[in-house]
Amino acid sequence: MRRAALALTLFAAPWIVGPAAAQSPGTLRVSINADIRTNDPGVNRDGNTDGVMMHVLEGLVGLTENGDVAPLLAARIDVSDDGKTYTFTLRDGVTFHNGQPLTSADVAWTWKRYLDPATKWRCQSEFGGKGLTRIEAVETPDARTAVFRIDKPTAIFLSVMARPDCGGSAILHKDSVDADGKWKGPIATGPFKFGEWKRSEFIELERFAGYASLPGPRDGYVGGKKAEVERVRFLVIPDPAATKAALLAGSIDVWADASAEDLPELKRRSDITVDTAPTMSVSGFLLQTRDPVLQDVRVRRAIAHAIDTAEIATGITQGTAQPNASMVPVPSSYYSKVQAQRLAADPAAAKKLLAEAGYRGQTIKILANKRYGAMYDAAVLAQAMMQQAGITAELEVLEWATQLDRYLKGDYQMMSFSYSARLDAALNYEMMSGPKATQPRKVWDNPEALKLLGEAMVVADRSRRQAIFDRLHTMFLADVPMLVLYNGVDIAASGKRAKGYKGWAAGQPRLWGVSLQ
Amino acid sequence: MLRYILHRLLMTVPTALLVALAVFVLLRLVPGDPAQLMLGDTATEETLAELRSQLGLDQSIPVQFMYWLGNVLVGDFGRSITNDLPVLPLILDRFRVSASIVLVAVLLATLVAVPAGMIAAWKQNSLGDLMIVAGATMLLSIPSFWLGLLMLLLFGVKLGWLPVVGYVSFAEDFGRALAYVVLPTATLTLIEIGVVTRMARAATIEVLRLEYITHARAKGVPEGRVLWRHALPNAFAPTWTLLGLILGNLLGGIAVIETVFTLPGLGRLLVDGIFARDYPVVQGCLLFIAIMYVLVNLLVDLLYPVFDPRVAAE
Repeated sequence: MRRAALALTLFAAPWIVGPAAAQSPGTLRVSINADIRTNDPGVNRDGNTDGVMMHVLEGLVGLTENGDVAPLLAARIDVSDDGKTYTFTLRDGVTFHNGQPLTSADVAWTWKRYLDPATKWRCQSEFGGKGLTRIEAVETPDARTAVFRIDKPTAIFLSVMARPDCGGSAILHKDSVDADGKWKGPIATGPFKFGEWKRSEFIELERFAGYASLPGPRDGYVGGKKAEVERVRFLVIPDPAATKAALLAGSIDVWADASAEDLPELKRRSDITVDTAPTMSVSGFLLQTRDPVLQDVRVRRAIAHAIDTAEIATGITQGTAQPNASMVPVPSSYYSKVQAQRLAADPAAAKKLLAEAGYRGQTIKILANKRYGAMYDAAVLAQAMMQQAGITAELEVLEWATQLDRYLKGDYQMMSFSYSARLDAALNYEMMSGPKATQPRKVWDNPEALKLLGEAMVVADRSRRQAIFDRLHTMFLADVPMLVLYNGVDIAASGKRAKGYKGWAAGQPRLWGVSLQ
Repeated sequence: MLRYILHRLLMTVPTALLVALAVFVLLRLVPGDPAQLMLGDTATEETLAELRSQLGLDQSIPVQFMYWLGNVLVGDFGRSITNDLPVLPLILDRFRVSASIVLVAVLLATLVAVPAGMIAAWKQNSLGDLMIVAGATMLLSIPSFWLGLLMLLLFGVKLGWLPVVGYVSFAEDFGRALAYVVLPTATLTLIEIGVVTRMARAATIEVLRLEYITHARAKGVPEGRVLWRHALPNAFAPTWTLLGLILGNLLGGIAVIETVFTLPGLGRLLVDGIFARDYPVVQGCLLFIAIMYVLVNLLVDLLYPVFDPRVAAE
């Protein structure tokens, strides 16, 4: 027996030592729950793809910490009086990952590629005339100047350009594609270069020594972006329990999307640093205003009074999120005192409204899924609260893709849902407002609100936009097409090796400014 | 024999066709739009329509099926909707990972479980039998994800002996690859030991009651020889069938184990494909699994006479 044990030990020893020695000390290891889809900016992407690729990519503009837009590769931006000409003056000293300097020719080449439908850039429709506007020309009067001419003015031209799901409209070097125009890989200007990608296993980014950082501290996707580590390795770990085990074992350094339910345990540990930051995502309940029961605004208001949003927000996020009934997220610079208003939890008022509406106990089904635990938990809590107020509420749990299908068709009474982060207040309203007859997925179909929203899309003046958003929120509370609960929270846990990780409003990882000890 | 093999192989064709048709139709009956899942909630009606057209999802289902089947017949399983990679190489790549874990686990489980089951049968109703049966039942009852997580916590987090996440292929670095597959293989082995032990025990008990065993004992043949020489071959035959079924089943993917241990295997590919409504990947995986299942069971049938010569005689 002793000999067998010795043999086993001798056999196992090299493999036991192996994994510990496998990691280079300059590699920051970060978990992501699914592989990226492509490294072609804004083409076939998801949240993980954006999160990884925004370390490599940079556009003319980027998002600040609170979701505003600021110059990134541009040193300055001049907008003509008619709002139809944007002149970008490029920063000096910016080079691509292949060492070539950034010029306006690269800007023109990149945008020509984006606007070509063959590229399948997801934001092509926004700039190609079907959506926001149409870029009629990108001119290059000199090597440092790029002039964009658009067919109609819009206040959110730069905001859409900076969207992470558009790949930040990153400027690429033409060697990113081969002679036939086929995508090879990103040669961009970000603080990290795209390295090795083993599908379903990991993506490795390498520090770009020639990176020209903006001055100042970290600020969203702009500001100082100094890569402190030699490499970042994003490890694909689909299971949250395995991710937690990996963090505790020191196999990863940062768990960028830790769950709220793990928060108390992680906080108790001295070897783990936890960071929480409010994000721009919007969680709440969609109410189908065309439903025979819910078409009566009094019933919808009764539901709003029946549900204690503060209690749900606190319970689900372990007290890390503040309740917010507005479509304008808390971190937004447009979040005002008016936006902070909400319908108070008041079961008595709910019962009174139900009586006025002639509610006779008809069942209201709440759709939810278990893929996203917070949506399910919110639905369970809401069901209990609604029942306490005399509303017959039933829970229907669907698989996520099925729920999304029902959302798309508008086929629901009440749905626990979460919108991903939009970083301009107008886009937050736009994602859920529209004519239901032609776009059944839209939640709020109010012609006056749509008119106001149209204005918010065009008006650039900040105070005028604020007034529009405040007015929209007042109307939103009166109509109750949706019951907003809270904005998501970015919970990140770092092991003892990693220092300086900080979450932010976009809810995406940022690994510049993070060092290893 | 060759005719029999050919006959069995030809029988896989209608099976595969039926699987292909069933999978194709059922998958499209399930609600969920791959285009919507790809574009997320920022999609507009125009972008959705464009993507559906690019993916060929705007065609009628019969047209889509015939197009897909035509390509499959020439070895083209299509391209993944989510990452645009060709499906067949993707499946083969992932299958290699799953197979390396499954084959070793089933082999180890057999080496442990068959003797354990036979000993339990031999010492039926003894304390040893009770302990083996209790152990097998416990292993059988433990959910694989839970056992996997316990193994991770013990050997990865507490003891720090083995890596918790990641995967290295054997071709890349044999030593490190071994370290990464120890825990998933051990987990799967333990789970399968439970099933095989119970089967081996039941089959051996049945054989030990037969007259030829009594005859051998009456002749004074030593008990060990009775067990290993006379009982084992006949008792192993039904276990062998079970092993074939287990192998066929597991080779189709061990999604839970692969998810817990972050292995890029076939099971995870299939599950991710289902969540993303990646039709070509799901169809390809299921077709591949069906063919694999048939082939594994064919192999088991062909080897059956080794353990039970009566089958060949018949």
